[in-house]
Amino acid sequence: MASVCGTLEVAVWRSASGRVAAWVDRCPHRGMRLSHGFVRGEMLSCIYHGWRFDGAGRCRKIPAHPDLDPPETIRTQSLACLDAQGVIWIASEAPAVAPPDLGNVVPLRSLTFEAGIDAVAAMTGEVPDRSLLRLDAHGPVPPLVLLLQALGPGRSAVHALAAPTGTGALVAASRALEDFRRRTEAQGIAA
Amino acid sequence: MTLPAAAIDEWYPVAMAPDRPLRPDQETTLLGERVRVLLDGQEPRVEANDGRNLPVIVRHGHVWTSLGAPKHDLFAIPEGEQPGRRLVECGAIRVRCSPLRAVENFLDIAHFPFVHTDILGSEPHTEVNRYEVRIREEVDEVWATKVTFYQPQAAKSAQGGITTEYMYRVPHPTCSVLYKTCPPRPGEWDIITLFVQPLEEDLCQVWPWMALFDDQTPQADLIQFQQMIFLQDRSILENQIPRLLPLDPGMEMPTRADLTSVAYRRWLKKRGYHYGAQLVAA
Repeated sequence: MASVCGTLEVAVWRSASGRVAAWVDRCPHRGMRLSHGFVRGEMLSCIYHGWRFDGAGRCRKIPAHPDLDPPETIRTQSLACLDAQGVIWIASEAPAVAPPDLGNVVPLRSLTFEAGIDAVAAMTGEVPDRSLLRLDAHGPVPPLVLLLQALGPGRSAVHALAAPTGTGALVAASRALEDFRRRTEAQGIAA
Repeated sequence: MTLPAAAIDEWYPVAMAPDRPLRPDQETTLLGERVRVLLDGQEPRVEANDGRNLPVIVRHGHVWTSLGAPKHDLFAIPEGEQPGRRLVECGAIRVRCSPLRAVENFLDIAHFPFVHTDILGSEPHTEVNRYEVRIREEVDEVWATKVTFYQPQAAKSAQGGITTEYMYRVPHPTCSVLYKTCPPRPGEWDIITLFVQPLEEDLCQVWPWMALFDDQTPQADLIQFQQMIFLQDRSILENQIPRLLPLDPGMEMPTRADLTSVAYRRWLKKRGYHYGAQLVAA
């Protein structure tokens, strides 16, 4: 799938065995977005010419030349990528620290907001520039953790995790998130 | 922006020839400038934004014009004049990409199994055999010959899979002519062309045109077949990064299957045709 890391456009994918990888969203051959590609087993194939890349980003197969063993220099531009606590984390360079401990939560859903991350944080009463928000339980809605990802100046992705609870409460949390999104986007229009 | 002479003093398609339905007053864009295509009786006239009349040629099923003063005639396609050919204009397809990327994609066969799956190519028949490419200095054109590829349905008229032979000709920076095995008439070539109208550096209009030996297939089916192929190509062309075509090596990595594209980029660079191109120095 297509994602964003700062100003970099990124392709994130998971292999058949569950391994995740994140690359700059561009095939080294003719610049096609790799996020349009398809996964076969442990490889990602570019949709344009079918060039196949392994989990480390090295080109393993060029279908136009089936007998060629592609040189080692043909590779995608990799980002650091980690699958932990139900979240895929990416960074343009491997950070020295591990992702923050989210506590006892399970993944709920990811939503795209037509609002920048500062506007999303401000709506929760948090100061801007915080990408991890913890919301207390509210009525039937369990405690939530929101991870904010900037997709652009006026766009963000909100990855929500919830304290483990019954299905009814998770549905309520999901509805509450949609309501939160409506209010946040309306705020942007009003401003 | 000041446009280089190589781009200004060139012919470009802006409309279908007036024997096809043409709206009497049609506005379009050429190299970032608004132009109007008008009809004086049966004769098409093209007017620039400032009201001056631009040169006009009606040829290959289309109206061609230029913002400058081309010192050369528009290229000819002599084989297209052969009696018995069906001439098929296909209309225009607007693509958010560099006009040069659109031409380069047209010259590429290695994508057939992946983009035109089960039509122009299919796995496992992905191999691109050796072919010959050269720049014919005497006519200043890029030619690729002896190009062969296995195709499940090479043309609307094809019954089942065949190994198709292709020749590609690039007589113009934004136009290419493809000569292709003609299923109902072995020994002759079908002609499929790609005429690209550069609207902006990263926006173009593609006018496919065909001259075929096929008196069976209804016109609408021929057009629909071409439009399906070009719409599949558009899903690629609008998702290449960068949008402009990199002319200098390093940014993208060709293989032997890309020899036509390599020659095309080199030829553009030699001609100083940089509209829609990205140069490292820029």
